[in-house]
Amino acid sequence: MSGDKTVKKHKKPIIEVRDLYKIYRLGDTRVHALDGVSFDIYKGEFVAIVGASGSGKSTLLNMLAGLEPPTKGEISIAGKRIDRLSESELVAFRRSNVGFIFQSYNLLNTMDAEENVAMPLMFRGVPREERLKKARKLLELVGVLSQARHMPNQMSGGQQQRVGIARALVSDPRIIFADEPTGNLDSKSGMEVLSLMQRLVREEKQTLVMVTHDNTIAGYADKRIRISDGKIIDVEYGEFAKELEGRDA
Amino acid sequence: MRFTDLLLLSINNLKRRKLRTFLTVLGVIIGTASIVVMLSLGIGQSEANKEMIESYGSLTTISVYSNSMYGSQDSSTDPLYLTDEVIESFKGIEHVTGAGPLLRYGAIAKQGVYETYLSLQGVTRQYMENIPLAEGHYPKETDTELSIIYGNQVIRDFTNSKTGEGFWSNGEEVDVDLMGRSVFIIFDTDAYYSQGSTDADGNVIAAPKKYIVPTAGIVDGGESGYGNYSYGAYCDIDLLKEKLRSIYKKKPIPGQPTNSKGKPLSYFVYDSAEVYVDDMDNVAEVQEAISSMGFQASSNMEWLEQSQDSMRMQQAVLGGIGAVSLFVAAIGIANTMMMSIYERTKEIGVMKVLGCDMDNIRDMFLMESGFIGLTGGICGIVLSLAISKIINTLYMQSEAAMYSAGMGDISRIPMWLVILALCFAVLVGMLAGLFPALRAMRLSPLSAIRNE
Repeated sequence: MSGDKTVKKHKKPIIEVRDLYKIYRLGDTRVHALDGVSFDIYKGEFVAIVGASGSGKSTLLNMLAGLEPPTKGEISIAGKRIDRLSESELVAFRRSNVGFIFQSYNLLNTMDAEENVAMPLMFRGVPREERLKKARKLLELVGVLSQARHMPNQMSGGQQQRVGIARALVSDPRIIFADEPTGNLDSKSGMEVLSLMQRLVREEKQTLVMVTHDNTIAGYADKRIRISDGKIIDVEYGEFAKELEGRDA
Repeated sequence: MRFTDLLLLSINNLKRRKLRTFLTVLGVIIGTASIVVMLSLGIGQSEANKEMIESYGSLTTISVYSNSMYGSQDSSTDPLYLTDEVIESFKGIEHVTGAGPLLRYGAIAKQGVYETYLSLQGVTRQYMENIPLAEGHYPKETDTELSIIYGNQVIRDFTNSKTGEGFWSNGEEVDVDLMGRSVFIIFDTDAYYSQGSTDADGNVIAAPKKYIVPTAGIVDGGESGYGNYSYGAYCDIDLLKEKLRSIYKKKPIPGQPTNSKGKPLSYFVYDSAEVYVDDMDNVAEVQEAISSMGFQASSNMEWLEQSQDSMRMQQAVLGGIGAVSLFVAAIGIANTMMMSIYERTKEIGVMKVLGCDMDNIRDMFLMESGFIGLTGGICGIVLSLAISKIINTLYMQSEAAMYSAGMGDISRIPMWLVILALCFAVLVGMLAGLFPALRAMRLSPLSAIRNE
């Protein structure tokens, strides 16, 4: 497969997942949300985790981002085991390593765009002027600098999601997680947001893990991990990615 | 996270819900004001009480009496008299700054047709200088002649020796001027009352000698004011002793005990003595020491403590009534914070996903509730200062004030109460917010992911 060109086998993976299980108890029945999942993600990859509703894809993302603990198995991010961290250690881990893009943008309504973008830096204790400067730089990168002083309810969904992307990037994270980032957008602005994310992965050398149920959207990714009933059923490399690779070559 | 960022975040959150924040703060305002006003009434009462007792004499003075002075002594032992030697020994007790005797001597004062029985008290200089004067001045230390400070009420005790009428019988002020005209003092009262009759040996008793004794001053208080010194007449104890010795020579001085042979003692025995203590807190201890020496000791402090004990109870009840409303306000704060957390579940989740420390989230909510407490506390204190002012003004105009003239404000808010109330309001706010804050801290970050 031509995908071998994008996957740099000689490098150590940034995310290593081994035999991951997540079992929920619903009354007397045990639901296997994840049933022994193993895979690697390398730096600079745009990965889509694709699956139907209830396939376990969101559970997987939550565990990769350290939002909920696995029942069993290992998750290493940049060589650090995160499945054993306490809740407050996970918060600290996310603060310095993880950016997050939400389906419903989740901008705080009391803050304007630049303050929203600067928020993760506020949690790090960066002084206000410094973090707002950085925020404006990122708003420019995602193309909504003109909206910097707008409140979230004064912006369109596409603009809000761009602000959300800028916020995910502001703390220079090792990995960005995106949970159905286009789920609340119309197809046109959805495509724009996806192109932006794609560009950022390439130009800014970012690693992006996206969860989606939509195959078309997953097509923007370099690599697709298909998941069903808590198991990986297929790992494939996107047509679009191949096209881009081909064009670049 | 920086403290200023945390603070701004908290304040912005409160500003978002202005009406709800206002209503919650209002609860704290009422709670704080009710505690402060209730306590101010209690403090006012207890301070007025203290001032009243202080006006009867210093709180650090102990009066000492001898049981032996008035008969009933056990004849098998030497009577326990208050003598110069004994008073000197009081000065050796710890915390005592001074001690001095009091020599009471009954005399008669005369001016024109008016005369009165005078309770003349020979006192030390230290004692004399505690007497507030309206007119005149204290006798000089270098004086060799006796002079008297009259209590401001003494003038009303004068009666017309011919008609027997006086202020207390007909309500008319008598024509006596203690400062302006000379006053005659008769020391030998026995002879005065029995003059003209014959004694046991058949001799006619001659009228006793009258002495002109200058007036040094009049005690402060005006015509009708009454205080500790209003009814007495005070003079230097050493000069009084000298005077009495020169009058009676070898004869026993009235009021002084005699030995078993009926002869006068070679020294003076005092009715009472005053012992001065360095601090109010040590009065009880010194009093104890003097009592154990066999004397009777009493102080205003003792009185004050008894009345303060009962007032403390009253204050606790008043404060308790106020505390109930602050407690209700605290429930209001807790309720507001819980509501706020339910509304902001998603927001808190987002903050946690983006790496906001759990401690910061807890602190943010604690600050919000503490801020409600602080704002309510400040406004509550302002309100209670206003209420206190109104109470005092109304009280002054009311009839009750007429009967307790000079009592002052009935509601008093000292600085320590202001600071205490403020700290308490903030503390109550934070305590009320503690449970909601801990709850917010433990909210799952997953709530940010869920889409409603």
